[in-house]
Amino acid sequence: MRRGMDVGLGLLTGGCLLACLTIAGGLIWAIVSRGWGALSLSFFTEQIALVGAAGGILWNLVGTTILLVTAFLVCAPLAVALTLLERVWLKQKRVRHWLRIGLYTANGLPSIVFGLFGFLVFVQWCGWGKSWLAGGLVLAMSMLPTVTLVLIERMAAIPERYIIAATGLGLNEEQLVWAVLLRQSWGGLISGCLLGLARAAGETAPIMFTATIFAGATLPKAVVESPVLTLPYHIFILAQDSFAPGIGTKIWGAALVLLGLVFSMSLAALPSRLRLHEESHV
Amino acid sequence: MTRLLSWFLSTLALGGFALLLGVFVWQSAPIWQTEGTRYVTGSAWFYRQHQFGALSLVYGSIAVTAVSLLLAGPLGLGAAIFLSEYLPQRARLWLKIPIELLAGIPSVVFGLLGIALLRDWVYRVFTHFDPLSGDTLLTAGILLAVMILPTVVTLCDDALRSVPGRQRSAARSLGLTGAEVVWSVVLPQALRGIGAAGLLAVGRALGETVAVFLVIGRQDNNLPHPWFSLAPLLEAGQSLTTKLGGAETNIAFGDHLHWAAIMGLGLLLLVLTAGATALGTLGRTPHA
Repeated sequence: MRRGMDVGLGLLTGGCLLACLTIAGGLIWAIVSRGWGALSLSFFTEQIALVGAAGGILWNLVGTTILLVTAFLVCAPLAVALTLLERVWLKQKRVRHWLRIGLYTANGLPSIVFGLFGFLVFVQWCGWGKSWLAGGLVLAMSMLPTVTLVLIERMAAIPERYIIAATGLGLNEEQLVWAVLLRQSWGGLISGCLLGLARAAGETAPIMFTATIFAGATLPKAVVESPVLTLPYHIFILAQDSFAPGIGTKIWGAALVLLGLVFSMSLAALPSRLRLHEESHV
Repeated sequence: MTRLLSWFLSTLALGGFALLLGVFVWQSAPIWQTEGTRYVTGSAWFYRQHQFGALSLVYGSIAVTAVSLLLAGPLGLGAAIFLSEYLPQRARLWLKIPIELLAGIPSVVFGLLGIALLRDWVYRVFTHFDPLSGDTLLTAGILLAVMILPTVVTLCDDALRSVPGRQRSAARSLGLTGAEVVWSVVLPQALRGIGAAGLLAVGRALGETVAVFLVIGRQDNNLPHPWFSLAPLLEAGQSLTTKLGGAETNIAFGDHLHWAAIMGLGLLLLVLTAGATALGTLGRTPHA
């Protein structure tokens, strides 16, 4: 009886894991197998045609890249500043604790909330209309907590003796920041940003009211009324119309490209993340 | 200098988030003044008649979240038990990669998968109940379950592994089987962490927009009669996020009260998700 229960639990939980892995593998396979046929050189170099039923995704890729670069440039300095605040400049333990809780909470905020905020502040109040800058700023805001938390985790993992040695050599706090803390944790900034950008690249909700349209935009030349095309919004619009013939393979091709973009960024960050994650809990 | 700069940039960042919260409170104020609590308890949303009752939207959000947690909770916990209690470290790390990848699939692609694979399946399986289409609250809930599965697995695995190995050895040396160790030693001690995992998953499910948007049917004013009836699950519905993600947000901006009602939905969403996430985070870090 007891032996049977033992085997039973193993089988049951093993079955659960197998089901999870099957779902993960099956869904990724579903995207790859459907989208593979659409991929060709011209898919990447042509612009959208026939409402997505023909042509390629050139300007969608360009637009997504513009948004990501903007978001990165805005987010990285802010994340470093917040991390230094938590690690170095704030002295009271309580305040630091609440800053961390706040960051975790902000990390869980729904992306549509950032979209509404951006729509009101940038699109309406600033009078930018749909603009790449509005989208970049909104994405920067939505990924900031993630990047900061990864960076804090990494900076906290710097061995204590490095800091003691630096202090022993007479470095003041500012020198300590530049010579030890930032230098030892820049890998964390990279993997944090990759992780944040991987998530931002696939976001639709924050940019659909602020930055992106479906067709008719190329390179933005100003800030005001300068929307871009993006991959997620392209898929989002086509998905609502997915019965139209001809769109079938194209939409899966776009999904596969987006997936490839997101996975390559998060895979690049994965080893350091898994390792850190494991260490911090052992 | 460095210190000044980081204070300045941090203030900018924190100010941005404070502004976000403030904007939602301030911009939704008119609807709270006109409608009061009826805004949350009212069941009719007809914006042309200036009727703003958010109850059916709150119901939609809670219904899809409940379905997703009921499905992903047990499955994810089971998988996490196997990962943490039965597998060696190396195998565990490798098997976590596909699960991390599942977490990385963008929500719009999940929505596309939902349309292509899940919608027709739900329609066929439940055809006995005569649904109007495959776009239902249930479909959205099942899709959400897949989306929160990685969160549940990863966080439950963390919670289980935070139980010290010594306790397992002690229990084994008393003659308990592996299953008994899990049941009476590991699970009770990890309960708090598992609860936190559930809360964080709820936070994620409540806030999900685009994937749900594509399969929920976006039908306003769908409420159960009587309130415990499960029938609305097989009908098209609407949640807080899908309402906000729809065209109505653009239309509303010109109308003072309508816009306040939309921002009120945003505030409700903000409070619900932030509450679940903050509680979950506090549950995860008792010693911090």
